[in-house]
Amino acid sequence: MNLLKAIFASTIVLVSFSSIAEVSVIVNTANNSTIDSKLVKKIFLGKKKAFPNGNKVALFTLPDDNPDSEHFRQAALKKSNSQYKSYWSKLAFTGKGTPPKKATDSEMINKIKGNTNAIGFINSDKVTADVKVVATF
Amino acid sequence: MKLTNIAKASIASLILFSSASSAEVNLSGFSSINAGKVLSGTGVEHYGVPPTFLADYPNVSAYEEEWDFDPESLFGLQISADLSDGLSATAQVVARGVNEWDPEFEWAYISYEFDENWTIQAGKKRLPLFYYSDFYDVGYAYVWMRPSADNYTWQIFNYTGMNVLYTTDIGDWSLAANLYTGKEDDKENKLLGEFFFGAETREIWKDILGGVVNISKDWFEARFTAMQYTNERYIDGEQTTWDGKDYRDGSFYGAAFNFDFENWFVLTELSRLDLDETFDSMMITFGYRYNNFTPFVAYSDFDQDAEDGENHNTQSIGLRWDFHSSAAFKVQYDKVEDNSYGLAVAGDSESLTFGIDLIF
Repeated sequence: MNLLKAIFASTIVLVSFSSIAEVSVIVNTANNSTIDSKLVKKIFLGKKKAFPNGNKVALFTLPDDNPDSEHFRQAALKKSNSQYKSYWSKLAFTGKGTPPKKATDSEMINKIKGNTNAIGFINSDKVTADVKVVATF
Repeated sequence: MKLTNIAKASIASLILFSSASSAEVNLSGFSSINAGKVLSGTGVEHYGVPPTFLADYPNVSAYEEEWDFDPESLFGLQISADLSDGLSATAQVVARGVNEWDPEFEWAYISYEFDENWTIQAGKKRLPLFYYSDFYDVGYAYVWMRPSADNYTWQIFNYTGMNVLYTTDIGDWSLAANLYTGKEDDKENKLLGEFFFGAETREIWKDILGGVVNISKDWFEARFTAMQYTNERYIDGEQTTWDGKDYRDGSFYGAAFNFDFENWFVLTELSRLDLDETFDSMMITFGYRYNNFTPFVAYSDFDQDAEDGENHNTQSIGLRWDFHSSAAFKVQYDKVEDNSYGLAVAGDSESLTFGIDLIF
């Protein structure tokens, strides 16, 4: 029984830990495009430069050293930080794409709120009513 | 500093643009500080070449038996002005240890995005013969110390002209196509002049017309390319003739296939150049990602279809260590076999190179 309790307790710890790490992909509340996790991946890898409504994407990321960046890149894009940065440096230095602009945790909501074509991500605990969540990872 | 007119024009427009209120100017860059030496090598006695590892043909990055930091160390800066509404101007300056750190413009172009799918660009760019040609200088973007020297042997690296990019997606697949045309007139070609002919060589590739198609999905990527050009050459001011003609036509074909599974990846590339003769190259790399460590093994080969034609191959083993979010340490051992006598390049060699790549 003690073993079961231990397993149960550690499961709770793991689950709550992962909910702490959950990241929400957020867009402007005026953005009416349907955005699923596949589109999120294409947008954040520069393969899709506009929303389904035709508007050009304004892309934002948290800084590299923010643990939520690492979580998002791994969970949503299936890339480690260094794979992600290698990938974008290849596009940026060959004229094929412009990497996402950096915004800190405290700037992110305002960046998204202030631009109808903005898309970014933030820890789910920090989401406010000023933005719309389109996917979580 | 060597400035082509187009580079001057682009810089002038960058400066003009950046003083306009609408422009957003971005500065970014990359650097590699690498060192290496030949552990043992034969050199090419009948051409007076000492034991040498030619790590990069076009830039003539040659290691000899003393530790040397110059051959492959470089520092690159990119300035990009985004003028909104899809218009941008970009210049990239690279200073190389092998060229006494003289900064030179490698890229200088303007770009206009018509819509989500179509972009037109004009100016000086990298000639996209191979998969890695475009980002050859950005060591951080690939696993080895350098894309294999046996493949990336061609003496012309850049061109000035224009190109059209098309990108789209079909279900899970993404497609990117590039059609380009232009010319390169290299007044003092380094590889031919310094390494092969020992006399000032002006190498011209004109009427360049090429296309690249890249398809990709999560774990798979394929790239196909074809290019044709007309070659003219002057050695010591005297025009070279081939079979009585003062020009010759070349055609280049290439294919690359990359596979990326959970932790394993396989990189491959094939190319063929039909000039007076046929030159084939291939490379294959296996790598495994383990946390921040990526060990790899690679094999590459270059083969001219002729009696005692140019023929060399390289076996490599190495490690990339991502010790920082913007920097990687790499170390690599290369064993080169140079099998031709008449067209020997640098002889057999075993060498060790290591260094740090970073981006900012």
